[in-house]
Amino acid sequence: MTRLNQRAVSLQLLVFVTQWGLMIIGFGILAVVVAPLRLQFDPSLGRYFDAAVKAMIALVLSISWLFIWDRQVRLYFYRKREVTAEPA
Amino acid sequence: MLPSGWEVTTAVILAIVSFPVSLVLTRFFMQVNSKRGIVGIDVHKLSKPRIPEMCGAAIPVTLILLSSAYVLTGGGNAITMLAFSLVVGSAAIVGAVDDRLKLRGIYKPLLTLLCGLPIVALGLVYPNQVYNPTLQVPIFGSFHLPIIYPLSIPVAISVTSNTTNMLDPLNGTMAGGVSIISAALLIGVLITGPTPSTVFLYACLLFSALGFFYFNRYPSRAFSGNVGQLSIGAALGALAILGRTEIASIVAMFPQIQNSFFFLSKIKRFTEHRALTAKPTKLLDDGRLASSSDPKAPLTLVRTLLVGRPAKESEVVSTIFALFLISGALALITMILIR
Repeated sequence: MTRLNQRAVSLQLLVFVTQWGLMIIGFGILAVVVAPLRLQFDPSLGRYFDAAVKAMIALVLSISWLFIWDRQVRLYFYRKREVTAEPA
Repeated sequence: MLPSGWEVTTAVILAIVSFPVSLVLTRFFMQVNSKRGIVGIDVHKLSKPRIPEMCGAAIPVTLILLSSAYVLTGGGNAITMLAFSLVVGSAAIVGAVDDRLKLRGIYKPLLTLLCGLPIVALGLVYPNQVYNPTLQVPIFGSFHLPIIYPLSIPVAISVTSNTTNMLDPLNGTMAGGVSIISAALLIGVLITGPTPSTVFLYACLLFSALGFFYFNRYPSRAFSGNVGQLSIGAALGALAILGRTEIASIVAMFPQIQNSFFFLSKIKRFTEHRALTAKPTKLLDDGRLASSSDPKAPLTLVRTLLVGRPAKESEVVSTIFALFLISGALALITMILIR
């Protein structure tokens, strides 16, 4: 039987569960807060303006999500090796 | 008895046929590509064996053949099957062209954007038969995206196909990982109210990936090539849209997302692994893999798993499968929460 890197699996489990929870909260914010917003100022273009603003909010949320993911992995895996893995 | 009865049962039984079909086709491509000199070097072995490339073509061929057979036998939705086959087929063509012509890194994401267009076009011609622009969210209900949803379909196909393409550095990681993802999503679909077409396509993807995995598992006797990787990734993306498993599919693909994000955030451009000057891992004299000490090397998933602990290739592959099991389980929970 092939051995697993149990430390890596445990840390990745922590990363995945955290990101999963954050993702559900993010989609919850989109569903409960962002989606019901009505931002239609101009009746002709209002629908598209509304969609674009909501897409931007979703983009900011997803970039924040990836940023937290990045920090988490670097903290767990690369902290001690920051000097070799990530020069200033 | 399965939730919606006979139709779902026959869908699964027919999908099982894709296992022997994929097995035979992979064997066929192994022989033909070996004779034609279409081979790649397994760089993570000390002996550097030459392995037949582009054998992953067996999977898109199996998927398209079986989808056609399913429609011809009167099962499933013909429009759904057509959309799926067009996406998988076009992604396979992009992959095959890349395998033969070695395109620059930027072309793959751009060309795979076009692979999502059949779903958008068929969705415009047959509204509400191909995709549903209402996104179902776990716990919090759903929200309607009439403009953003169709616009994001090409992006989704491009992301899933390229992220799957990027996580195949070691023997069997892509085929094994996709098998685990497909199995988890298939179970989720069966639990949460299955439609025969979705069940059939997930089962088909699972068994055709397993057929290829038989030859691709460690130590590999067949390599997938871009033709297999891009088409399987596109199949996952298309199924997420056609089967309404968007959020669960994102969760199931966490290992791929992490790998691609850390690769791109470090390299800051779309590029091929073969074009990297700083490799993320190195092969030690005893045959084990180790994390690279080169500061310019990308922080790939394999490198992350090797930090401070060199390991055999088979050990890293098993660890990656464990990560897919975790993401698959989370995807299953997500689907249950959506129900």
